[in-house]
Amino acid sequence: MTVVSHFIQLRISIYLTLTALFILSCSSQSESSPKEYLRWVGDIEHDSLSDGPNFKLCNGDENVFQYFNIGDGLQYEGEKKALKNKFIEKYQPVNTNQSGWVRIRFIVNCKGETSRFRVIGADPDYQTMDFDKRITNQLMDITKGLEGWKILSLRENPIDYYQYLIFKMDNGKIVEILP
Amino acid sequence: MKSILTFGLFLVGLGVYSQPNCEAFKLLGKNLRYKACIKAEDRRGHYQFSKEYQEALDSALEIDPTFAYAYQAKSFAYLKSGDFLQWKYLIDKAVEYDPEGYLGYRGWCRYQFFRDYEGAIQDIERLDELVDHEIGFSANGDYQLHIARALCYKGIGEPHKAIEIIEDQLKEESHFLGVYDYLHLGVLYLETREYEKAIEAFKKQEKENDLAENRFYAALAYKELKNENEYILNLEVAKKKYLSSSRMFDPYVEQMDKIFLEDIEKELQNGLQQRL
Repeated sequence: MTVVSHFIQLRISIYLTLTALFILSCSSQSESSPKEYLRWVGDIEHDSLSDGPNFKLCNGDENVFQYFNIGDGLQYEGEKKALKNKFIEKYQPVNTNQSGWVRIRFIVNCKGETSRFRVIGADPDYQTMDFDKRITNQLMDITKGLEGWKILSLRENPIDYYQYLIFKMDNGKIVEILP
Repeated sequence: MKSILTFGLFLVGLGVYSQPNCEAFKLLGKNLRYKACIKAEDRRGHYQFSKEYQEALDSALEIDPTFAYAYQAKSFAYLKSGDFLQWKYLIDKAVEYDPEGYLGYRGWCRYQFFRDYEGAIQDIERLDELVDHEIGFSANGDYQLHIARALCYKGIGEPHKAIEIIEDQLKEESHFLGVYDYLHLGVLYLETREYEKAIEAFKKQEKENDLAENRFYAALAYKELKNENEYILNLEVAKKKYLSSSRMFDPYVEQMDKIFLEDIEKELQNGLQQRL
């Protein structure tokens, strides 16, 4: 390896480290008191690495609603009962003492397709907690596999909307699914 | 699309909690609070989730970092998007600066949005110790807070304690009957195998606010008492009521003891098969 290429590699490495530190500082700030807001609280920006290329919003990022904006609550084929049944069927309790809450939030577009899944976790004192991957991977996989999200419309126009699921966990078992 | 967006913003979620009267702070000589309160007015017309709404409250808090109302107002969007981390951070601030004003609200939200039964009990009981007046209602107006506390005891597996709290509360002359009080009491009796009492409670619920839920659970109580006619009849009424939207509903979160169409249909199918 030449001195020049070594120097370039070193610069790239410093750049990547600084970028990572910047991202980390932003994320830790967002957990206390955010000062830099997007359009709406909780807006999820597209991430080409995790979100894949095929999902399209019908009305643009600036027009994504919340699931409750229509006033009908969570809308799923077979109602929330059918959604809960999927988790009862598929989730395998994990042998751990981890308890608290896991939230998975995502977007349902005007065709009923989903993407931009993001996860956060908290312990019973509402402090940030990284749950065991055996828990979060299962919850994420089952959530991504849900196919019954209803298309919501406002004044007969199908909309894109944010939906979330919160899993209250007790020692690795799901004890409640909200909202 | 913009007109749709504007419609949506006003449809649900613009502040249901009224802002404090800023002039009152002025009269009380709380000038800093007055200025913060006036600054918080800048959020008017903006959606709770919006940057403009949040920034107006941030500016108010820069003037008076102890303005509990501003923390609560900021927290609404986090609560409704399920962000328990940021919501708790903000609502704890509100409680820190005004425990009497926000303990009941925090307790209710812990129960309703996160099923944090223990946390909700702690908040409501702490409020009850702090004040010598009526402790108030849930944010949506559906429950007196002692009734909500009772449901939390049910949530932690103490149904008898829950029954005791609801019975005591219903005896209070000043109690303002909630839309689901007798339904929850009836379900508690049903779960503790007091079927006659359960039916009595469901009949009271029927008189006050007849829903698919009270009919469904009444059917289950009649089933235990081997009253087949009332069992089937109540299931049929439950289904009819469910389909006509006479049922428990909350736009944000599923309520305790809520039923779904599948519950009624399965029970009805079982009942009719047994009859055959």
